[in-house]
This record gives sequence, structure tokens and C-alpha cells, in this order.
Amino acid sequence: MHTLITYVDINLAVALQVVLLGFIGGILSGFIGSGGAFFMTPGMMNLGVDGVIAVASNITHKFGKAMVGSRKHAAAGNVDKKLAAFMLVTAIGGIQIAVAINSYLFKGGGDSHGPGSSAGANLYISLVFATILSVVAISMLRDVLKSGKGEEDSGPSMKIAEFFSRLNLPPVIHFGVADTKVSLWVLMAGGIATGYLAGTIGVGGFIGVPAMIYVFGVPTAVAAGTELFLALFMGAYGAISYAYHGFVDIRLTMLLYLGSLIGIHLGVYGVKVVNEKYIRAVTSVIILLCVVSRVIAIPAYLRQLGFVSFPAEYDQWFNFGSKFFLFASGIAGALLILTKVISAYRQRRKIHKTLQVSRESDVELAVLKEAV
Amino acid sequence: MALVMISSLYQAGREDLTQELARKTGWPTFSREELLEMAHQEGIRIGRLEMSMIKGTSQSEKLAREKKLYLAFITAELGRRAIDGNLIYSGRAGHLLLPGVHKLRVGLSAPLDIRINRAAKALHMQPDQAESYLAQLDEDIDKWIRQIHHASGQDPTKFDIFINLESMSVKHAADTLYAISQLPEYQESPASRRALEDQYLAAQAELKLITDDRTAGADLRVKADTGYISVTYPPQNEPVSEFIPAVLADLEGCREIHCTMASTNILWVQERFDSKSENFQHILQLAQRWGAAVELMRLVTPEDVPEGSEPLGTEYDFGRRECPLPDTGGVEDDDPLGVIDDGGLSSAIEVLIDQGRCGGGISVCGGYDKILEQVQGDANYALVVVGEMFLSKGKSTRTRRTRELAMNIRDRLKAPVITIDELESKFLFGKRQAINLAGYGLLVVVLYFLVFQNQEQILNFLSGPTHEKVKWLAPLLIFAFVPIVAYLYGTVTGLALKLIDID
Repeated sequence: MHTLITYVDINLAVALQVVLLGFIGGILSGFIGSGGAFFMTPGMMNLGVDGVIAVASNITHKFGKAMVGSRKHAAAGNVDKKLAAFMLVTAIGGIQIAVAINSYLFKGGGDSHGPGSSAGANLYISLVFATILSVVAISMLRDVLKSGKGEEDSGPSMKIAEFFSRLNLPPVIHFGVADTKVSLWVLMAGGIATGYLAGTIGVGGFIGVPAMIYVFGVPTAVAAGTELFLALFMGAYGAISYAYHGFVDIRLTMLLYLGSLIGIHLGVYGVKVVNEKYIRAVTSVIILLCVVSRVIAIPAYLRQLGFVSFPAEYDQWFNFGSKFFLFASGIAGALLILTKVISAYRQRRKIHKTLQVSRESDVELAVLKEAV
Repeated sequence: MALVMISSLYQAGREDLTQELARKTGWPTFSREELLEMAHQEGIRIGRLEMSMIKGTSQSEKLAREKKLYLAFITAELGRRAIDGNLIYSGRAGHLLLPGVHKLRVGLSAPLDIRINRAAKALHMQPDQAESYLAQLDEDIDKWIRQIHHASGQDPTKFDIFINLESMSVKHAADTLYAISQLPEYQESPASRRALEDQYLAAQAELKLITDDRTAGADLRVKADTGYISVTYPPQNEPVSEFIPAVLADLEGCREIHCTMASTNILWVQERFDSKSENFQHILQLAQRWGAAVELMRLVTPEDVPEGSEPLGTEYDFGRRECPLPDTGGVEDDDPLGVIDDGGLSSAIEVLIDQGRCGGGISVCGGYDKILEQVQGDANYALVVVGEMFLSKGKSTRTRRTRELAMNIRDRLKAPVITIDELESKFLFGKRQAINLAGYGLLVVVLYFLVFQNQEQILNFLSGPTHEKVKWLAPLLIFAFVPIVAYLYGTVTGLALKLIDID
């Protein structure tokens, strides 16, 4: 297999770009609550990294990051380990399907040399990426617009969870921390879909978290905590599977860490100080721009596979357009978040104020004590 | 004074038992149905709140406000009646209300067939329809109680007595309740009275703030302690803060108001507070970094009952443990002779007010269950710190039991819980953290240097000829190496950001 794998040559410029991808991905990840792979995976592909190596290196990066992050969630009581265990068993099946498809397409894609050798896998990853993330981004944007029109924000809809609950397909399992009952069959479907997407495009959280909230009826905080706990094991399994096939580029993983572990702290800080509507609006716009970026790259893959024909030198323009949109969305999103973070940081240092008003039966005395 | 809270599911006989007990004792009654009617007249939409709570796990800000309003309303109404003397309340989860107040918590159940027949008659339904209706209703009620009170309505540990009307008549049940309610354990004590007054005052203040146009919509947290009301509000609600004293101006029983702007709250549980101690400075330092208000909870362990009180024996004895709250003997605190020992709580609060970090204070007596009882419905804390506890014990016992207490709270409260010993290592930046930062940072540099100086050999190992020969070595390396890098570098970034106060 090693004869087919072409690792990107990492010079200082490429290294800095990967660190920047990690930093922006980390900010978005901390802010949005997903893994940030929707930005980092295509970003690496735009730097010339083969799709499957980008996915493998990112899932490996996610494994270590989830290990650090899930400890914090567990301390806050947001992890339903029983639910995570059930999801994990089924998600492993999904990851296996994804790894098998990616490996097959990688071997059989293009003309088996140069960039075309991975065009099949790249096209497949790009199509799944664009489809799934379009659905997620449009749903989020619709929610934001709905609440902007003054419609009541009543939180996540429980219609789907109630529908499955009414079906009452045995065996039904009770999850104590999440305080919900879910049919094993529904769990299996959700787990396989999560594993498949994590293995294909490295964004399992985008299906896992909504599935837990909307389909299983799990509270949002527990869904996010459980997903991160699940990501730890799924990431480990994905990383081992891809490493076995020789697809993990440890250098990329390490460079991603350099940026992402700083970015994630800033993103999480941003969540504490920015209102939810703003978070959802920024997130959906960033994801949509990422989708556009990936769609722009598709014609080049189609040409490499022989489905369309145009001069090969046009590929660089498609790649440039794709790269431009990706970096524009990521950098703009990260700047918006960072602006809020910095202003909140400065404001927080000034918050030291207690107003003390003393009231006795016949005297009213007001004292203002401020320590700024 | 006796306070009897009778809780049951629909058509399980609580109205009959309430009436029988009232007939026997002459005590006034108050029911959930009357409460709902009053709430409706006040414009509180409990029906909609119930539907939202039961049908979803929604956590929208509007719903959280409605929940707060509902709890404040019910506490204020119950408090108003209970403060005047005896009261029998019948509802679904009255036993979970007024934590820390002496009350007889009664659970009631009845045979399902009787409930079905009564429901069918009351709702003009066929028995099979009534049966399905009751099944759904019971499930919904349980969900509602969990959402509102964060506890199961059927949890036997939350009741003093559970009566099954299958084997006991309503009359005998009422006789039993009356007899139990006369026991000393269910009589009002100074501590119980104080808890009732505090909760009544806080509920009234909260109601006023939620319903007044000037402060409605603001995210306020209200606590009361012997007439001192503490209100914390987030920075975005600063414009409304100036109206808070005006809104609470005519509130009877309010001696002083503290309004603190805070991004979040830290709960500090400790036996005695000393504003000059190192721990106090550490908590204050953290609160200033986080923009947090510090809420003090003085936890008095049962073995600290003062001399002259009824002996409790060992800590493992059964029976109610009275909280040895400071008793002024009628001497008000403006009297120079009225110096009381409140475990340093009031002086600590004074310092917090000076520093603009006051989130209020409270004294409770008991173990972790009492802490949870006080905070469970309002557990939105960024951090819970369990400080120095069990001071009368030896060092090792103190350490062990403090750790056990923290673990028990951590298991049940959805908030990070740490002991004071862990505070410095986890949240503050001192010498030890500086050494860690330098050490871990050096290791990270060495690791990255080695990897990027030997790229070819590593890639060969991961996917080249070496990998072709021994395929399982690459996954093994990845599995072992990646968490080490993440842990080391994660620690470095965490410490570095802590150094510049971003955490």
C-alpha cells in the first residue's frame, strides 16, 4: 500500500498553514462544540494532502483532543457513559464501513498515479461532506431566522424523539444521566450513522449530537459531553484502523495540535460570553462557506476521474477558489469569535461591583461600593 | 406549629386525607388546585410551562424565567401561609419545597383500580380510557417533578412517611399524621423558622423583580439570609441593576440589599470562614479572574451542636439534627453586646461586598444531602469548592471525610466540585504551575524537535517498508504516542492561558 501513499512535503510555510488550520479549527470547535474537522479536513486537502490522509490525521488528532476535553465534561456531570457505550459499539460498525469504502476508493481511484490516484476517495468525501453539512447549516440558519422573526425559542423540538418513544420498539433501554429511554434499534441506527460520518469525513459530532438531542431526547449539555466521550473511543478506533492501513501522517496531527489546543480554549471562552443566537448564526454561515469551498473543488476530482474534460491546468484555479472560500470563512468566523472573546476578556477584568443598600425601619442609607 | 405536605398522584386520595386531617385539627389547608388558580389570576402561565417541561428538554432562557417565576410564586404563597402557623398543603411535590424547614413530608398512594374508577367518574371517561389517561399522566407528572425539582417524585428518601390507602382508612391515616406531626422533630425550631423566613423573603424579592417592568427579563439570582438580600446579575443586565433597590424598597423584612454584577457564581462550602486566610484570598483571586460572585455556605456538621442542646450521640445516630445557628436571644446585632459566633460568615460577606464579589451567604446543618437540598434547584454554579470541614477531627480523618463529601456532591450535582486543596493546582497559577509549565513545555519542544528532525524514518515506520513488514506497530505507536502529545501540550496551553487569566 505504501507505494500509493504520497505524503505532503512539510516546509515551514506548509507547517504554519497547518498550525493556522488547527488554530481556526480549534476556535470553531470550542465555539460550535463540534470537532472542527469540517474546516481542518478540507483545509489540509487544499494544501495538497490526500483526502484519506487528511481524514486519518484529523481523526487521530481528534482522539487525543477528546481525551483531554471529555475529562472536563465528565467533571461537570455531562457524560452518560452507558449511552456512550451503546453508541460506541454500533458506531464502530459505522467506522468500519467508512474505512472500507475510503480504502477501496483510494486503491481504485483515478489513474493510480499523481494526484489522480486519490481522486475517487476525494470526490466521495467531498460529496458526503457537502451534503451532510448543507443540511446541518441550513437547519441552523432556519432556526436563527425563525427566532429573529420573534418566534418563541422553545429549544430543540422533541417531535422525533416522541415519535420513536411512542413506537416503543423493544428492547427499550433507560439511560440514567440523560434521563431518557431509547429503543435499541433506534440507538443502533444513530450509532452506525455517527460512526460512518466520523470515519468518512471526521465530523461524527455533527450527526451524533443532533441524533442524541432530537432522536433520543437527551438534554443538550449531556449530548455534547457524551459525544466527546464517545469521540475519544471512536477517535482511538478510527486512528488505529487508519494507522493499520498506513494513512496517518503524525506530523500533520502534531501540527494541528499546536494550533487547535490554544484555539479550543478561546472558543470555549467565547461560548461563555456570547449569546446563543450569535453562536448559531456564525456557525451556520461558516459551515455553509465551507460547503461552497468543497463544492468548488469537485470539478477537478471529476476531471481526474475522467467524468468531465477540461485542461488540467484549470485544476489549480478550482483549488485556489476552494482554498480562498475555506480560509475566508474560517478566518472571518475566527475573527468574529476572537473579537467577542477579547472584548469580553477586557470587560471581565472590570467587573468588580457590589451595590449595598442598607434599610432600617426609619432610615434608608445607600452605599455604593465599587472596586474596579 | 405544624407544616404537613401531602404529595400524591392524581386521584390517590390526597384531597380526602387533607380534608380529614383539617377536620380533626382545624388547621388551614392549601392545595395545588388553589395555587394554580391564584397563579392564573396573577398571569403566570403554569399550563404552558408544564407542557414545555413535559414535552421537551428545552432549556431556553424564557422557559428558565417562567420556571423561576413559578417556583418563586409557589414558595412565596406557601411561605406566607406557613409563617402564620399550622398548614396542610396537598399537591404533587410539596414535600420537595421549603428545604431546611421542619415539615412532615407525606407520600400517599392508592390502589390503581380505585384511582381508575375515580378518574373515570371525575372525567366522564370509560375505565380503559381512564387507565391509559392515568398511565400517561403519572409519567408526565414524574417528568415535570424531575424538571422542576431535580428529584423523583416517588423517591422514598424524600418522605418522612408514605401511606398506602389500600390498607389504611383515610380517618386512620389522618389520625396517624396528626400524632406524628406533634412529635418534637416536626415542631418549629429557631433554625427552621429562620430557613422559612429566608426562603419567604427571597421568594417575595424574586417575584417582585420578575414581575416589575423595570427588572423583568433580567437574569437575576436572589438569596436571603436574616433579612439580607443578595442579588447577582450578569454584566449584560447592568442597566437594570440601579432599579433593584427601588423594586425591593417596600419589601417587609428586608434589612439590607447587596447587588453584585457577576458573570457566574462560585459556591464555597466551609465550616468556618476567615477573610484573612490564604484560602479566602485564593477564592477571591479566582472570583476576580472569572468575574464571579462568591456564595458562601456555612455547613455545620451535626457533631458541632453546642452545649446545652439535646445530645445526638454519634454521627451515625438516627433522628433530626438541629442546626446550631447563632442565637441572639432576642438581642439584635446592632447591640454591642450582641456579638454572635456565626463561623465568620458575616465578616467574610463584608469583605466580599468590599471587593464587589458578594453572592450571599447561608448556614445549613447536616451532610451533603443538605447542601444538595439547598442548591439542587438552582445549581448553575461555575464551581463548587468544598473547603475546610470536620475541624474537630484529626487531619487524616478531616482530609478523608472532606474528600468523601466533595465526591458525594460531585456525583449528584451537575457542576464541577473540588476541594480547597485542589483549587490552587487546578485554577490558580503559582510556583508549582510555573515549574510544570516550564517542564512540560520543554518536553513538548523535545518531542516536536525529534519528530520533525526524523520525518523520513517516522513516515517509513508509519507507512513505508517497515510498516509493510509489521503492520500492527504503526497503530500501536499512534495509540501510545498521540495521547502523550495531547496531554503534554494540552497542559502547556492550559497553564499558559491560565497565566494570562483566560480560563
